[in-house]
Amino acid sequence: MCVFAAATRLLVVWNRTTGEAFVANDGQRGGQRGGQKSGWPDRTGPDGGRPARAGLSEAILHFLERGVSLVVSSSDRANRPRVGRALAVQVPADGAWIGVCLDRTANAALLAAVAETGRFALAATEPSTHLSIQLTGEDATVTAADAETTILAARHVDAFAAELALIGYGDAFTRALMAHDPATLAMVRFRPSRLYDQTPGPKAGTAVPP
Amino acid sequence: MSSAIGASLTLDAIRACLEGAVPATIATCAPDGTPNVSLLSQVHYVDPDHVALSYQFFNKTRANILANPIAVLQLIDPPTAAQYRMELSYLRTETSGPLFESMKAKLAGIASHVGMQDVFRLLGADLYRVTAIEAVPGGAPLPAPVAPRSLLSATRRACEALRGCADLTELLDHSLCALRGLFGVEHALILMPDAATGRLFTVAALGYDSSGVGSEVAPGEGVIGVAARERVPIRITHMTSDVAYSLTARDGAEDAGLTGGPAREIPFPGLERPHSQLAVPILAGRRLAGVLFVESRQEMRFTYDDEDALATLAAQLGALMQSLPPAEEVAPVPAACPEAGGAPVVVRHYAADDSVFVDHDYLIKGVAGAILWKLVRDHTTLGRTDFTNRELRLAPDIPLPDFAENLEARLILLQRRLEERCGVLRIEKTGRGRFRLVVTKPLLLQETA
Repeated sequence: MCVFAAATRLLVVWNRTTGEAFVANDGQRGGQRGGQKSGWPDRTGPDGGRPARAGLSEAILHFLERGVSLVVSSSDRANRPRVGRALAVQVPADGAWIGVCLDRTANAALLAAVAETGRFALAATEPSTHLSIQLTGEDATVTAADAETTILAARHVDAFAAELALIGYGDAFTRALMAHDPATLAMVRFRPSRLYDQTPGPKAGTAVPP
Repeated sequence: MSSAIGASLTLDAIRACLEGAVPATIATCAPDGTPNVSLLSQVHYVDPDHVALSYQFFNKTRANILANPIAVLQLIDPPTAAQYRMELSYLRTETSGPLFESMKAKLAGIASHVGMQDVFRLLGADLYRVTAIEAVPGGAPLPAPVAPRSLLSATRRACEALRGCADLTELLDHSLCALRGLFGVEHALILMPDAATGRLFTVAALGYDSSGVGSEVAPGEGVIGVAARERVPIRITHMTSDVAYSLTARDGAEDAGLTGGPAREIPFPGLERPHSQLAVPILAGRRLAGVLFVESRQEMRFTYDDEDALATLAAQLGALMQSLPPAEEVAPVPAACPEAGGAPVVVRHYAADDSVFVDHDYLIKGVAGAILWKLVRDHTTLGRTDFTNRELRLAPDIPLPDFAENLEARLILLQRRLEERCGVLRIEKTGRGRFRLVVTKPLLLQETA
């Protein structure tokens, strides 16, 4: 087993035998004002816990579904980067893809770039611990959101507000930041082909096989 | 995205997003188009057309911008949560100098604020041209809070208040008065440089238990020393645990080791745990005339706008310092001092560093010490009490550096130290370029090599 990133609070671990990566906490959760234990599972995958979805371990999927900050990017044909903020992540139980919920009004240029090139990157960061990972894919598509997406977005805003409250941000601030019109939601679907540890430190950006 | 140049939304209008209170997001892409997105701890305002990003690690973002110089940021306005996008074009990386130093100091505060003081370290300041800015459509920003004061109005009135000042003492006093009354500043210092050593000494203070007049800061030491050395405002918006920016932790070891004998260090009066600090150089033409320093126990107390306001005030102060006419006297007025009585006090002078002790208590050193020694010698041997600035400037035993206000500053320093620390000696102004040494007890002078 090989430890790829050993910033103080996040370990992205790759099992050479199975080729799987998973994220483990070194037990030092909490930045300056951090809170509870994170409860990363020690090991998940085909021989421990539920089968992986979208080619990712349960630990990473669980992290993505927590109250994390979700920022995204794409690039157009002219290689101009686009940036945006996402509202939630959806991983269907039987899915080979990850769905990322975005507000169309706020992210028109980014969604156009995704439709044009299929390139997509998602960075998920837990503000209270600085734990951060990035997933990228080349086959992203833009689809319509459904009722479940709307519920997911609302649930994620609640979780994100609770997370930001741990480091002193007021509820009104977080809800203003995440404000969106449920009628203008879109879903970007992609299969993650690469995973990076992005916890701040010299190992940030280190590529790990998904 | 609209063009930044000439568009209604300018970089200056969204500077609150660049204070480091809320992380920004940066997106770049590799030459093959692979996108990369990450959070960014510091976006630094350089001028209306440029920002600089902190280069701390060689990561994917950095590899991308070196190969494909376009980056896009998404920024958050801390009070309202309004979001903006900014398109950038990478120009170059600076690893020393004013921009690097101002970012390094600010990053030290941000790092401590987010518990990353052992991780964040500035390797370079990546300079970018801002090519476009837009407000992110949609959203529901909060109403902007009402500012406690108009900095533009405060700056105008502070500059007006300085205009009529007749001498350096008035300039310094009016500056501190304006800082307190117009800018709501509770703790401030004005320091001036010793042209020979480059060290800065405190000549005026506001809001400290001990004024610290005469305390010294070396060039490059703390926010004040870095501001002086780089001639750029240095601002820290959160309390930093980086000792490089701590001035109160210093001891007198360096000073005592230089000359031997009793300690000659006047303690620096700054707050023990400042949450916000701002040091602005005072320039008189191209010359460093001083440093204006303000600090607060409140986080984020001084913003980019405060920095601009105090830089404008400092510019006015520097120009007025330069234009002060030399304080030359007419004829000295004869003394009318009461006869000193009682037990004599011992005034000891150490020639090695011109330090002066009164009854074993350290009073002053350097040029101000040499001035005092001349005054008390002339007083005891010739019975003189009235002196002129001009004779001090011409005195061979006073190692006065070149600039006129250096003498003024030393006299102010000496006058204030005597007021604070010495009950038997004081200096009173008796007219333009003239002053009187008032001695209330007999003096016993002792010279030590």
